Amino acid sequence: MSFSPLLELKDYSFSYESQEKPIINNLSCTIHDGDSILLMGASGSGKSTLALCLNGLYPEAIEGYSSGDIYFRGTNINDFKKGELNQKIGIVFQDPESQFCMLKVEDELAFTLENLSVPRSEMVRKIDRVLDQVKMTNYKNRKIHELSGGQKQKIALAAVLLMEPDLLILDEPTANLDPVSSLEFIALVGELQDNTEMSIIVIEHQADDWLHLMNRCIVLDQKGQLMLDDVPDHVFNQHAELVKELGIFLPNQYENTVEQNPLPSIVSSTHPCMSVNQMSFKRKKDSILKNISFNVYPGEFISIVGQNGAGKSTLLQLMSRLLQPSEGSVTFLNRPLNEWDERELRKRTGFVFQNPEHQFITDTVYDEITFGMKLNEKPEKDFKAVANELLETFHLTHHKWSNPFALSGGQKRRLSVATMLDETPDLLLFDEPTFGQDAHTTLELMKIIINLKRKGTSVVFITHDMDLVDQYADRVIVLNNGRIALDGQPEELWQNDDLLKEARLRKPYRMERKEVESVGLIH
Amino acid sequence: MVSSINPSVKMIAVVIPGLVLSLAFDVVTPLVFLTFLLLVTFFFSGVRLKKWLMFFIPLSLFALGLAWTSMLHTDEKYAGGDMLVNFWWIEITTGSLQVGVSLALRSMCFIALTLLFALTTDPTKLMLSMMQQLKLPPKLTYGILAGYRFLPLFKHELDLLRQAHQIRGVSRTKGIKGRIERLKRYMIPLLANAIRKSERVANAMESKGFTGSRQRTHYHEIKVKKNDWVFLTSMITALAIAFYLSYTLGYLNIFGKTF
Repeated sequence: MSFSPLLELKDYSFSYESQEKPIINNLSCTIHDGDSILLMGASGSGKSTLALCLNGLYPEAIEGYSSGDIYFRGTNINDFKKGELNQKIGIVFQDPESQFCMLKVEDELAFTLENLSVPRSEMVRKIDRVLDQVKMTNYKNRKIHELSGGQKQKIALAAVLLMEPDLLILDEPTANLDPVSSLEFIALVGELQDNTEMSIIVIEHQADDWLHLMNRCIVLDQKGQLMLDDVPDHVFNQHAELVKELGIFLPNQYENTVEQNPLPSIVSSTHPCMSVNQMSFKRKKDSILKNISFNVYPGEFISIVGQNGAGKSTLLQLMSRLLQPSEGSVTFLNRPLNEWDERELRKRTGFVFQNPEHQFITDTVYDEITFGMKLNEKPEKDFKAVANELLETFHLTHHKWSNPFALSGGQKRRLSVATMLDETPDLLLFDEPTFGQDAHTTLELMKIIINLKRKGTSVVFITHDMDLVDQYADRVIVLNNGRIALDGQPEELWQNDDLLKEARLRKPYRMERKEVESVGLIH
Repeated sequence: MVSSINPSVKMIAVVIPGLVLSLAFDVVTPLVFLTFLLLVTFFFSGVRLKKWLMFFIPLSLFALGLAWTSMLHTDEKYAGGDMLVNFWWIEITTGSLQVGVSLALRSMCFIALTLLFALTTDPTKLMLSMMQQLKLPPKLTYGILAGYRFLPLFKHELDLLRQAHQIRGVSRTKGIKGRIERLKRYMIPLLANAIRKSERVANAMESKGFTGSRQRTHYHEIKVKKNDWVFLTSMITALAIAFYLSYTLGYLNIFGKTF
């Protein structure tokens, strides 16, 4: 073993363009063998970029600009041959859809071994061993696209483990996973940590579940500068204010006040805004939704939860007439959904997609906001006032003439909601809108939603985040195998352990802590 | 079985007859070879007839249309012989009839050849074989494989875009100009995402030690076996027989020249 540290950064900066302000700004730190580091920072603070810089892909791959040095075990990373450093530092990326190049699990794992020129005779043994390590032995001959998100991430991890790296970087590996898959993945990493000497860096927005595995926390600010570097306890206890200011989720255990239902529901009307009657939906021969019935009341916040593939998005698409049910019907404001005039329907309802970019259709933020009003032939002076007000509310005034695609992640999210609000809709549907967003953006979005709720808008919201459900939802609908497994108050779900397990859900932090505490009292 | 033939050899065995056949302007040569191809397809390919017809029929209709047009507009050089039909503006001579029928048969040969290849070849094996036998650079072959994985994702994304734009009311913009506008609106997010995704895949591949270098081992060694040579030889032999038969019967016509 050499005495040089695993990795050492000296005044390292990186930018995509030579003129631009750097994404990573004058970073100096040392990473030692056996470190388990939680790397945090708001969106756009350069965390993912740093990961790619560490394993030598950047700046070369994109012709970026860097200054300062990175040393791996005392050797400057520029002195490594192409592909050599990648083997020492493995990365698992966020998106399960875009990190494979082969069709079958076995072939994907073989791809790594082929790159390392491992003799063919050793491949089968190595592949079998790594599949055992990630508990995916039965999936060796399966096609990758048939696997669930959680299974895909395990295969991505296995492919990286085959390189026997000294440092494993996990770049938001659980962001796309349902709650239970996410916990399973983290447990798997914990086991690896016990059985190997690998150092680990985890990049994550929501650190709660990772904390027990981490012995160090590094926080970057929006300018890509190192703000904090300490044990997690110190970072979150002594610098809680700073962490929050940077737009980072403070782990729940350091949050003193866990609020519950900040706004009691104002559901007073007994007249539903939308009712879904015995609706079924088939895609080709596969039955996606079976016999779904429920009502949505004015001013109500309903969360739809369930594992990936349970039919959540399909349900939302049916409710907005983007799909037609195979059986059953939907009524909106006392009229069958199919009898609504398209223009009128779109005015009264809104739909916010997971990827805000999908909703953009014009070249500037201002045009984007006024698009609907122009279509509805509103007089110009009316919509100017409305547009300016929306720009103001959503903090987009400074970006009035920017191209929507050039906005930051949070700005895009806000704009995508703003475009739905030129008139206060009766019903707003959200398909995982907080997915991959930092604390700041999520909080802002929830504030906007609460305001709408006050005005009487009904909100239907798909999410994997049980803390959001616990805090904001009046009602939760659990979809499992295409059926409604539960429709009631969140509290009912938290009490139903069997259903939680079956639908691959978990309790919110508030409840989990209670359980830990009560167990602690008994002992 | 044709599906077990080495993909690179199969490709050569399909491309050579394709090229050579395009020289034969008579009727007999493509007819003989097409008969052979159909026999191979039905008895040795394992492709279900229904599936095969699903591709063959629409493509053949297109070929027939092409042949019909070329029959009516045959170059004077070939359009000799007796007048068969002279009705209104339709003029068909024995010469032009021969050109038309020959073109139709040749097109059907091309279609049958393509289907014989496409319906029996596994894309992964094709790429691995092209890398191992034809020495194509790994950068290219693995790039194509990674891209192939994206096709279904692309369709899913287009569906989502359509829905998102419908919500915004875009479908209400009318006319051809509106349609072009709509296409433009799909293109930008689709391209932006495609670029982002391909960058991510490239990063993931390089992070797994991929450098594009040819020095790599192979998990699936794709070899050229005796059967592959047998397949190639029989395809070429069948082609030679088709030409020979047509020659002995006195029909052979290459580029308008009879032998």
